[in-house]
Amino acid sequence: MSRADLAAGKVIRMSLLFRIQHLLLTVLLTVLAITGFALMYHENSLAQWIIRLEGGVHNRGIVHRIAAVLLMANLVYHVFYMLFSREGKPELRQLFIGRQDIDDFLQSLRYNLGMAKEYPRFGRYGFKEKFQYWGASAGIVLISFTGIMLWAEDFSMAFFPKVVLDLAIIIHGYQGLLGFVLLYLWHIYNVHLHPSVFPMNPSWITGKVSAEWLRREHPLEYEKLKEEGLL
Amino acid sequence: MKRMTRPFLAAALAAAALFSTVPAGAAGPGIGECMDCHGDKTIEKTLPNGQALSLHVDLRAYRSSVHGKDSCVTCHSDAKAPHEKLAKVVCGRCHGDAAKSYSMSSHGILRAKGVTDVPACYDCHGKHDIRRPKDPEARTFRLNIAATCLRCHKDQALEQKYNLPDQKAMVAYERSVHGMASKKAGLTGSAVCVDCHGNHEILPGDQPRSATNRQKIPTMCGKCHPGILEKYEKSVHGKGMRAGIAESPVCTDCHGEHTIARVSDPSSSVSSRNIPKTCSGCHEKESISTRYALPKNRFSSYMDSFHGIALEYGMTKVANCASCHGVHDILPASDPASTVNKANLPKTCGKCHPNAGPNFAKGDVHVEVSPGKAMGVFAVRLFYTIFISALVILFVLHVGLELYGRWNRRKENGTGGKEGRS
Repeated sequence: MSRADLAAGKVIRMSLLFRIQHLLLTVLLTVLAITGFALMYHENSLAQWIIRLEGGVHNRGIVHRIAAVLLMANLVYHVFYMLFSREGKPELRQLFIGRQDIDDFLQSLRYNLGMAKEYPRFGRYGFKEKFQYWGASAGIVLISFTGIMLWAEDFSMAFFPKVVLDLAIIIHGYQGLLGFVLLYLWHIYNVHLHPSVFPMNPSWITGKVSAEWLRREHPLEYEKLKEEGLL
Repeated sequence: MKRMTRPFLAAALAAAALFSTVPAGAAGPGIGECMDCHGDKTIEKTLPNGQALSLHVDLRAYRSSVHGKDSCVTCHSDAKAPHEKLAKVVCGRCHGDAAKSYSMSSHGILRAKGVTDVPACYDCHGKHDIRRPKDPEARTFRLNIAATCLRCHKDQALEQKYNLPDQKAMVAYERSVHGMASKKAGLTGSAVCVDCHGNHEILPGDQPRSATNRQKIPTMCGKCHPGILEKYEKSVHGKGMRAGIAESPVCTDCHGEHTIARVSDPSSSVSSRNIPKTCSGCHEKESISTRYALPKNRFSSYMDSFHGIALEYGMTKVANCASCHGVHDILPASDPASTVNKANLPKTCGKCHPNAGPNFAKGDVHVEVSPGKAMGVFAVRLFYTIFISALVILFVLHVGLELYGRWNRRKENGTGGKEGRS
C-alpha cells in the first residue's frame, strides 16, 4: 500500500489480476446470459429479437461458444492462481467456509430482528461473499461440463443415452438461470444497492476501498492490517 | 313392288354410307347456302334484354374444327334457308356417353334446372370451332384446360353464388408445382384440372361419386405417382385410410390441393420449415392422440428440442418430422420396419450423428416432460424450479430483513446505526 493511499485512507482489496479476472467474468457471463436465455426462452418475442440481433440461431451459438471458451479459460487460470500463486493461496484459505460463517449468518438474522446487540464481525470475507464465491464457482463448473457435453454432442452420443443429453440441456439452462439470479440479483444488491456501498463498491474498478469502510464492514481484517502495521 | 324397292333401298343405303358426311340436298341447306347469310360479319339479332348477338359463323374456324367435314344440318337439323330461331343443338345425339356423365355432374344438374351460368358443352369445347383435345389450339388441350376452367372459376361473384372455395384457391393452382409445370415448362404430363376432378362428371369432393372424394384421392394421385402410392399403401396412414379411418391422412392433407408445391419451395406445406406444423395439424390434437393411443404433445416436444428451435430460426438442415419418421412410408415405432423402431434408431439418428449408437437410442425420444414419460428431466426441472424460486424468496426476505433492521436502528448512531452495517 502506497503512502498516497494511506494518506487518503484507502486500502487495496482487489489486485489488478483479480480485477481483470472479475471484469472478464462480468462481461463473459453477461454475453452468455443474453445468448443463452434467448435460446432457452426462444418462444418469447424479446428472445426472438435478440436471436435476430445476433444473426440467427447459428451465429448465436458461435457467440455463446466463444464466450464460453474464454470463461472456461478464465476459470482454469483462476483455479491455478488460487492454488499456486503467492497472492492466491492465502486468499483461498480465507474463503473456506467454516462453523464461524454459519454462526455469523444466524447472528446477523438475530441482529436485524433486534435480538442481538452486535452485528457479526467479519474477517476479509463475510458469509455473503463466501456463499457467492462458492455458489458461482460450483455453478460455472457444472455449466461448463454440461456445456462441453452438448457442444461435442456427437462425441457425447457415443457414450451416453439420449436421456443424459436431455438432462444436460435442462441442467445447463437452469444452472444458468440459478447463476443469473445469484449474480445479478444477490451480488448486484450486495455491491451496488446495499446501503453501506450505494451506489457502488468501487474496488472492482480501482481495487481500493476506504479504511473506514473496511473498519465497519470487515473489522477483523481491519484490525489485522492495523496489527501488521499496514494501516 | 317389293322386288323393285329392294335394290333401290340397298343403293340408297350404300349412298348414305358413302356420303354420310355430305347429306343430300334434300335433307336441308348446304354450307354454301347457310354462309350466304351467316358469312356476313355484321349479321346479328337483338336479344330480349336489348343486347346484340352476332350470328356470324367463321367458316375457316369451322372447317378446321373436328366437325369441319360435316354440314351445318348435322347439328342444326331443323335449319332451313331462311329460318327462324332454331332448336338447341343436342351434342348427346352423337356423344351419348359424354352427355350422360355430364348430366350427372354439378354443371349438368344445374343446367338441367335451367341455370344458365354453369357451363354447357360449348363453354368448354367451343361451338363451331371445336377441336380435338390433342390439338394444341383446342380449349380442352391439356395446357389450355386451366384457362378454360378459370374463365368461370376465377370469377368471385360466381364462386360466392355457388358457395365454392375462395377463388384464390383456384388461382393458386397456377402457382402450384402442377400449374407451373404446365404453364411455364409446358409439360403436358403435369396434372391439370380434369386429371383430378374428371371432365364431364365433375362433382364436389364431398359426394361419394366425385373423383376428388377423400377415399379416391390416393388412387387418383397414384395415377401419376405410382411409386409413391405403393409406399403410402404400406404406411400406417395408407393402411388406416384403406381401412376406412376417415382421420387417416390422404395425399392432400399434407400436400394441399391447388397449392401443392415442391418440398424445396419454402411456401410448401411439406417444406422442412413447415412440416412440423403440417404433421401437428393432427398429431397435436388431443382427440387424435387419445383415440389412437398415440404419444401426446408431438409439436411442442419437438419445437422445444434443439432441432425444433434451430428449424424455427431457419436452419433447415436440422431434423424435422420426416427426417426421422419417413415421408410416405411412415410406420408406427412398434413396427420393426419403422425408421423410428428402437432397433433402427441408431441408423436413423446416424444419418446426421454418426456416433449415435444403440447406447444413445436407449430411452424415449421427444416425449412430453411428465413423471411417467421422462422422470429424470421432470425431476431435475422441478428441483431447479423450486430451488431457484426458494432462493429468490430467501434473497428478498433477507433484503427485507436488513432494511427492517436498519429502520429499527435509525435513531441509534455509531456501530450498526445510521451509517453502520446492517
